[in-house]
Amino acid sequence: MTDGLLRAAVGVPLNAAAALLVAPLFQGAMRRLTAIVQSRRGPPIRQAYFDLLKLLGKEDIESGESGVMQRFAAYLAFACTLALTSLVPMGFPAPLGAGADAVALIYLLTLAGMCTLLAGLAAGSTYSLLGVSREMMAMVALEPLFVVALVVGALHRRSLRLDAVFGGSVYDVGGFPWSGLVMLAVMALSFQAFVQRAPFDIAEAETELMDGPLMEYSGPKLALFKYAQMVRLVVHAALFVAIFAPWGSGLGAPLGWLLFWAKVSLLVLLVALVAATHARYRIDQAIRYFAGLLAAAAVALALAACGH
Amino acid sequence: MSLLAKFQEMMVGLRAGRVTLPYPDQPAPAPAGFRGRPVFDAARCIGCAACANNCPAREILVVDVCQEIRILQYLGRRCTYCGRCADLCPEKAITMSREFETATDRIGDIGQRLELFMSTCQRCGRCFREPSALERLQMKGYRFDDLESERWIFRSQSYLPGAAQTQDVPIELD
Amino acid sequence: MPARETLIALRQRFGSAIERADLAGEGRLHLFVERASLGAVCRHLALDLGARFITTIGADDRPYSGRFLVVHNFAFDREHWIASVATQPPADDPRVESICGAVPAAAWAEREMRDLVGIVPEGHRYLKRLVLPDGWPDGVHPLRKDVAWNFSPPGFDEGREFGFGEPPEGCIVVPFGPFHPTLDEPAHFRLYVEGEQVRGCEYRGFMAHRGIEKLAESVMTYNEIPLLAERICGICGCVHSVAYVQAVESAAALQPPPRAEYLRTIMLEIERLQSHLLAVGLACHIVGFDTLFMQCFRIREPVMRVAEEITGNRKTYALCVVGGVRWDIGAALRAKLLGVLERLEAEWRAVADAVGGDRNLRRRTVGVGIAGPALARDTALVGPVARAAGVAIDCRRDHPYGAYARVDFNVVTADGGDAWSRLVVRMTEVFESIRIIRQCLAQMEDGPLGLGIPDELPVGRWGLSSVEAPRGESHHFVITGEGNRPRRWRVRAPTYQNLQGVPAMIKDQQLADMTISLGSIDPCFSCTDRLETVDLRSGAARTWSQPELERLARAAARRLTP
Repeated sequence: MTDGLLRAAVGVPLNAAAALLVAPLFQGAMRRLTAIVQSRRGPPIRQAYFDLLKLLGKEDIESGESGVMQRFAAYLAFACTLALTSLVPMGFPAPLGAGADAVALIYLLTLAGMCTLLAGLAAGSTYSLLGVSREMMAMVALEPLFVVALVVGALHRRSLRLDAVFGGSVYDVGGFPWSGLVMLAVMALSFQAFVQRAPFDIAEAETELMDGPLMEYSGPKLALFKYAQMVRLVVHAALFVAIFAPWGSGLGAPLGWLLFWAKVSLLVLLVALVAATHARYRIDQAIRYFAGLLAAAAVALALAACGH
Repeated sequence: MSLLAKFQEMMVGLRAGRVTLPYPDQPAPAPAGFRGRPVFDAARCIGCAACANNCPAREILVVDVCQEIRILQYLGRRCTYCGRCADLCPEKAITMSREFETATDRIGDIGQRLELFMSTCQRCGRCFREPSALERLQMKGYRFDDLESERWIFRSQSYLPGAAQTQDVPIELD
Repeated sequence: MPARETLIALRQRFGSAIERADLAGEGRLHLFVERASLGAVCRHLALDLGARFITTIGADDRPYSGRFLVVHNFAFDREHWIASVATQPPADDPRVESICGAVPAAAWAEREMRDLVGIVPEGHRYLKRLVLPDGWPDGVHPLRKDVAWNFSPPGFDEGREFGFGEPPEGCIVVPFGPFHPTLDEPAHFRLYVEGEQVRGCEYRGFMAHRGIEKLAESVMTYNEIPLLAERICGICGCVHSVAYVQAVESAAALQPPPRAEYLRTIMLEIERLQSHLLAVGLACHIVGFDTLFMQCFRIREPVMRVAEEITGNRKTYALCVVGGVRWDIGAALRAKLLGVLERLEAEWRAVADAVGGDRNLRRRTVGVGIAGPALARDTALVGPVARAAGVAIDCRRDHPYGAYARVDFNVVTADGGDAWSRLVVRMTEVFESIRIIRQCLAQMEDGPLGLGIPDELPVGRWGLSSVEAPRGESHHFVITGEGNRPRRWRVRAPTYQNLQGVPAMIKDQQLADMTISLGSIDPCFSCTDRLETVDLRSGAARTWSQPELERLARAAARRLTP
């Protein structure tokens, strides 16, 4: 018992600190890769840190329809993503993994997504409300995919506990892991949408909606949101690796830890590459795409229920 | 998913390499023939005011202090670097330099002032042969542009007889 | 039917309604008709003879003839001539019949005529203000000769608002502009949106007038005006300066030397290259595809640099004077230009091939912002917008100017009429421009760069010129005048005409497609808003404190968003 408590007491702040430290680095690396593809030099990799520091140093203004909700949404977004870091393995098992189950993870992820909606409602302008409606449609179509991924793993391991679901549970069947592979394909094809990068950065389309839900944000509150978005990228990547590419996690530290972060880095760079080479889709085109993926996920669920 | 097309587009970029320049950390000079800030050579100027009369931005002012002294003032604020003054100068006293980094917070930095000792023509002060009838000196005689408020005083058109003239000082013509 | 035969046929049909006719050579016919028959003659030209409407010009001719002047210009593209149908309303009764019913394309031009000259087009279906700001007092018409160029009218009413119509049932109002990331220029599209579909829109523009036409008539001189004209547009400046000097040369019967014509053609095509490369890049940026945007601009950069070496500036070439050009292309520059073209062609071929197979980009542009051939004819759309709808009009072939009659090139068309087709047309025209420049460089012979003009230009002569800008036909109309300046100068830029087709293009489309629909006509608002602005504040200076400015900005934003 105390062992678990000790693990939590050390692991939670450690995970959070690691995520906070590493997220802007990934952002900088993504911007650098994008610049290379675009024949530019691009900003230095440390630039994301500078951006956040600059925003934090600006005047903290409230604007939009509801200043209170605006503030609340920013704080909640940051808090949710920090909470997520303690549920996600980052080379070591998740510090709170034994005490939480998949449902808590799904709730927290959805809550983090809701914060963007709250932000848009707090602004209350036509463009931000349009962004909110797009974001809502995207969430409704996307969240079920992740739920199915977790449920497939849970079905195989007969438990919703997180430490059971992580670690390759999707492939944990007697014969050929059909449902696991189908879910791998589905998640790989929708990963770009989960992290809201092109071609699925529809809610905050700069050239169409002037940044949609976040349009009234500036200064420190914007810094919180931006930081939350960066950390979410790391969290999603870590989740993907933990669930679908867990090979090598059995190796002891530091090799297992290094391998994990190598896989996450690869995934992040792949995200940047896809984002740099695609045009943004329209919301109706995106929804149709997600609907197709949802059908495939339903097939995977059926397969998992039958034991494949 | 048009992967081949995306790959081709990416290769277009990668083949070109990184092309952005670290300006202003490294200077990026303008090419030869660039039309930059005009430079007036007082030694060559004969004070004909062809430049002043044909400047589309009205940025060159002329004032006759007395019969022998003419002041030519290039203000340079709204100068568009079109180069008409350099084209029309009969003595080639104006060169379009290659300078374009002319930002300053002191407005007097860009101006150039020429004080010229004029030899007088008894009648009209004309001293230049225009390249075409369209550059013919429209105004002869003395010039009294407003140097203090930096305002070019030019002939205004009243299209109907008897109409009031607003904000213009009428000038006597030859 | 060529001009002369059409004139004979018109004489037979309208008889004494035609007061005077001028076959001014080079494919120009000037008809003066009775005021009562203006509508009938224009309807006959547009509907029966199939002429394309270019523009309407209103002018205050009272100091010279004691009357006003209304001119409608029509183009017979296949027969290679332009007709001007003019009438002179009396000074005490400035009204004419509106031709909007038969020629919907004349909607804006007639509204502008009413705003600026005060000639009322009777029977116009939408006679709201177009050009003058909302608070401008009634009855003051800036382009009239008795209004000075720097006149500030008393009685400017700051509180007066533009009367927009009611949104249709079930629609919310989405304001698009004047501040929007994709719309770099000030205009206001009031979109009526149902869910994500645009059901209609109202346009209020002309927010950034500069008084260019009035300046040219009052204080500029013939050779200063090209420098003003090339600042009408931020991309196609050369087009306007060439069109203006060609109009003046046509009025004064001056023929520039051949080398000057070749040089003008080369610079016009260089401008078309950089404009099309920019347009394609911008279209990609609008749909969120920044990589291709960067690549297009990288490929475009050598064109800008070579233009800088030839003319002294990347964009404002300051190329033309009446009767010739100011810059020459020597042997070294010629070699450099050919090298740039070779590299450009290779790289652009790679990009065009890649984009052709790019389904992701096609998904965002195919079927978007459709302007079919019917809309193109009704609203007299020009340029790549018309050619992408299958309407094969191109001033370089239809009304040749410069050296275009001496070189070989194709007029590129497409079928879809959507944003994708326009993109393809522009990408293909890049290759045609490269071809034209190479032919000009090969054919150009040594010679003078300009004419010696011995006398002042004759007064009261008409001249017009249609030049194919990258966005379409740019039409200039000049009446020469006294004092070394024109009496009237009218500029009709291509976006002025193409913007009138936008409401139909975006109707029943998704809101997300609004920006790419607008971007695909490659709008150039600075070309459109070049008419009249006068200092609105009475000259008294006032410094605003930051809290005051903030309050003002917030109040305005609250008014715009419901």
